[in-house]
Amino acid sequence: MRRVNTVVEGLAPSTFRRAALAVLAMLLVAVATIEGALAQPAPTPIEELLLENTELIQESSRRTIEPAIAAIADSGLEGADVVLQRWEARDLFVRESDGRFFLAERGDDRDTYNLFHVVTKEPMGTAGRREVDQIKPNSGIRALIAAALVKFQLTNPDPAVRRGALEALLREPSAEQLDPLRAALGRENDPFLKGAMERAERLLTVRFEEDEAKRVEAIESFAGDLSVEARATLNPLLNTTLKVSKEGPDEDENVARVLTPGSENLSFDAAYDLLVRRDLAPRIINAAARDAALVEHIENGMVAGVPVASLDTREARDAAYSRLEEQGAVTQTQTEDEIADLIASFTFYEVYSEPEAITGAVLGTIAAINRSVAGYGFLDIALDALSLASIYFLAAIGLAITFGVMGVINMAHGEFIMMGAYTGYVVQQFIPNYTASLVVALPLAFLVTFAAGVLLERLVIRWLYHRPLETLLATFGVSIALQQLAKNIFGTQARPLTAPDWLGGALVINDVVAISYIRIAIFVLAIIFLVLLLFILNHTRLGLEVRSVRQNPRMASSMGINPDRINMLTFGLGSGIAGIAGVAIGLFAKVTSDLGSGYIVQSFMTVVVGGVGNIWGTLAGATLIGFLQKGIEWFNPSNTLAAQTYMIIFIIIFIQFRPKGIFALKGRAAEA
Amino acid sequence: MRRSILSQPSVIIVLLLLTAFTVAVVGMSEAAGGTLSTSLVKTLGMTLCLCLVAIAMDLVWGYCGILSLGHFAFFGLGGYMVGMWIMYARTEQIVVQAAQAATLPPTPQEIRDAIGTQIFGVVGGARIPPIWTFADSLWIQLLLVVLVPGILALVFGWLAFRSRVTGVYLSILTQAMTLALSLYLFQNDSGLRGNNGLSGLQNIPGWESTPQSVVSIYFFVASAIALGAGYVLAAWIVSGKFGSVVRGIRDDEARVRFLGYQVEHYKLFVFTLTAVIAGIAGALYYPQAGIINPAEIAPIASIYLAVWVAIGGRGRLYGAIIGAAFVSLLSTWFTGGRAPDINLGFATIQWVDWWQVLLGVAFVCVTLFAPKGIGGLVDYVVRKP
Repeated sequence: MRRVNTVVEGLAPSTFRRAALAVLAMLLVAVATIEGALAQPAPTPIEELLLENTELIQESSRRTIEPAIAAIADSGLEGADVVLQRWEARDLFVRESDGRFFLAERGDDRDTYNLFHVVTKEPMGTAGRREVDQIKPNSGIRALIAAALVKFQLTNPDPAVRRGALEALLREPSAEQLDPLRAALGRENDPFLKGAMERAERLLTVRFEEDEAKRVEAIESFAGDLSVEARATLNPLLNTTLKVSKEGPDEDENVARVLTPGSENLSFDAAYDLLVRRDLAPRIINAAARDAALVEHIENGMVAGVPVASLDTREARDAAYSRLEEQGAVTQTQTEDEIADLIASFTFYEVYSEPEAITGAVLGTIAAINRSVAGYGFLDIALDALSLASIYFLAAIGLAITFGVMGVINMAHGEFIMMGAYTGYVVQQFIPNYTASLVVALPLAFLVTFAAGVLLERLVIRWLYHRPLETLLATFGVSIALQQLAKNIFGTQARPLTAPDWLGGALVINDVVAISYIRIAIFVLAIIFLVLLLFILNHTRLGLEVRSVRQNPRMASSMGINPDRINMLTFGLGSGIAGIAGVAIGLFAKVTSDLGSGYIVQSFMTVVVGGVGNIWGTLAGATLIGFLQKGIEWFNPSNTLAAQTYMIIFIIIFIQFRPKGIFALKGRAAEA
Repeated sequence: MRRSILSQPSVIIVLLLLTAFTVAVVGMSEAAGGTLSTSLVKTLGMTLCLCLVAIAMDLVWGYCGILSLGHFAFFGLGGYMVGMWIMYARTEQIVVQAAQAATLPPTPQEIRDAIGTQIFGVVGGARIPPIWTFADSLWIQLLLVVLVPGILALVFGWLAFRSRVTGVYLSILTQAMTLALSLYLFQNDSGLRGNNGLSGLQNIPGWESTPQSVVSIYFFVASAIALGAGYVLAAWIVSGKFGSVVRGIRDDEARVRFLGYQVEHYKLFVFTLTAVIAGIAGALYYPQAGIINPAEIAPIASIYLAVWVAIGGRGRLYGAIIGAAFVSLLSTWFTGGRAPDINLGFATIQWVDWWQVLLGVAFVCVTLFAPKGIGGLVDYVVRKP
């Protein structure tokens, strides 16, 4: 009918011929429809149901559609789910003449549709193009249909469909879904899906079950569940409303707590505001309003006989206001005492919206969840600390060799770390494959910084072996020159050193604990270096010579060891390790020219705290500093600057008590 | 026998040169109708302050052998202390002036609230933190310029020297102290405006009507007097028996201890005194610089201080002055973009980019080949008796 109207309205006198043709065409179509209808079988029950709701379905409005969807979904009729699916997929067509629904397919010529049964797809004759209307549900309606479909999909033979339905259900849970979910749960065979469904059933039970005992049971089953969903379901059950009354809470109210006005949870002002909002107290005139009233009543430089110039304290202003009150010029205000008395005559309390059995169970469960969250949080912090410790260890281990074994302060150590990171960056410019470039960059960074270290040792440090303070200053000169050089070459902006994809993600253990693979890789790298250096120093000829030169260079040289060569190699080794550490650090930090200077002080402290001249000492120092920093951050998570400050202060104090570090060398070794 | 301080030729020469320099600068300044711009006078005044802190550094490192990498922290603390008064008093003036427009005279609480919002609004605060309790009193803040660095140095030095932390360990420890202090000040809730620092310090309360050209002269002369006094004090300390013991500690600490001297007391005295001098220098420096923030206290600044002293020549007080003046002025010139670029045909060397490299390399060369620094040149001219 609607379409006919449209055509008539679109008619214009000047197009009379075309209109006449259209009327003719309509007549033809009408005849064809009657013929088709005559040839059709009686409607099946599902079609009857659709026919009953045809107006709602055709109206296709999100506001009114729900009864129609519910009628179909709850009908229990064979094929109800199929109909809903086809409706959602915009496959349904309605015949305008009688409101009956079909599936339709374009026929041989473009003016006819072949009609099929909505469920069985049996052919049901034909219809003209103008006679049937496609039902096009909008996205809102399709969401409603999808929600209704969930209950059918939960029992769908395809597990993927069931899983999708379960996820949809958890996104928008509602009370009606509880029964279908329970029904589906009984029929589920897939163990994984059964577990997920069982959990969803408990989540829904917590929210929508009417039997209190069942709810409590479901609530308590979430103790130890770390998921956000569990907490998001439980927490709203503890919602409270703030109430105020003279008599105090009623017997049947589940009181969360009674608030004392003036405490942290309810300030006097907030308490009084509440009374004002409940019309239990007159509106207060605050200081600003009183001052404004004073200004309004200034006459000849006086307010109520008080000179304006003397109103420079709160007390003087309040006194002037009281005078105005006495004169009746301004509204009476409450004094502080009156306000306090009024507030004291009321009881302020918060009431749970849920009954006591439920809130008690929720409180217990949430406490249990919080306990395990705290436990895992501690584990998470510990893992964080471990990875920070391995970063410090990597950054400091090269220094432990040059400073610890050779007694040389190398302030340019941080710049060797930076050089390593830039080496990684440059390699990535030539080798686009991140994995391959990393494989090339690690040894190359070692070679580059090894060479730089040997060069520094030959040119500068060799001449200053007996003047450690001057080594410090000379290498500092090298450090600022290298930093500026890097700035001149690579610019001031950070350069990317991208980690390969397999290092990209994180190892997720549960909702609280997750470790990124880069951190694991750095931890592994740190372990490798620890073992490697221990092996080199303790089990190789080079290590033996290094140790002997460290203890007594002259004796070593009289035993045929060349101390010059050994010092050069040791320094190169320490610098080379700094380069590799640079590649590792560059993977998660920004590669800038001052990358290294951020680590230099920490590295020195790591070595000093651990004890100079000892690889184990460096390990202990890095572990101590890493755990200390994370530990302090744990108490004050928002402030990493403060954590670093307190950590340094702690180290300064620590060195008071163990000036030679955790692992102090003893005996002759200490003298060298 | 101690000779009179003023009979030492180096002291006399330095004082004469300083006086001549001061008179020349004041005479040529804009305020006196000369051509020296106000900003240049300020730069020169600031350089004098840097010379003063370099003397402190020379005293503690060149004479006592303690390579402190934390003296710029004391310098900064001095600046912060005086900066607090300047900022508070200045803001108070502005607030009171603004309150005159209001009909009712302001209550003390209102003024305090307005000052709090004005100063700490930038770090999201409105309350005046407790460490600003005395900020309204110039005299107490001036006392704090001396006390805060002094007490920090006393406590730190007592802890460090007592447990016989020496040599490079002490250097690293002092560096850690500096880092901790600057990291602490970088926090917004440190009470000193986080990384915004204190600003507007060139506007001295009470001198609003005095033009900056004149204020700069006041500070220049004050800096010159402080430098002269600091030099005489340092020369006096190192010339007597005390100076000999201190030098002895530098050369062989154990031997001096075995001779029965309380080495720790001597070191602690020198460390604390130099910290106080550094604090005073900072208090004179930052009103000329106009702004102080935690970046000034970063460990690198203290290392530069050591660089100046090393380049100027350790163990001779005038060496510290030469080094600090030479390097810091040269730095200002090169990094200020005023130095001409060198065109090599294939590339242009811009000094802004290459000055740091040059400084680093020069510093390595001085350490390696001229341990006596620039001051060592004097030895060629003057034959020691």
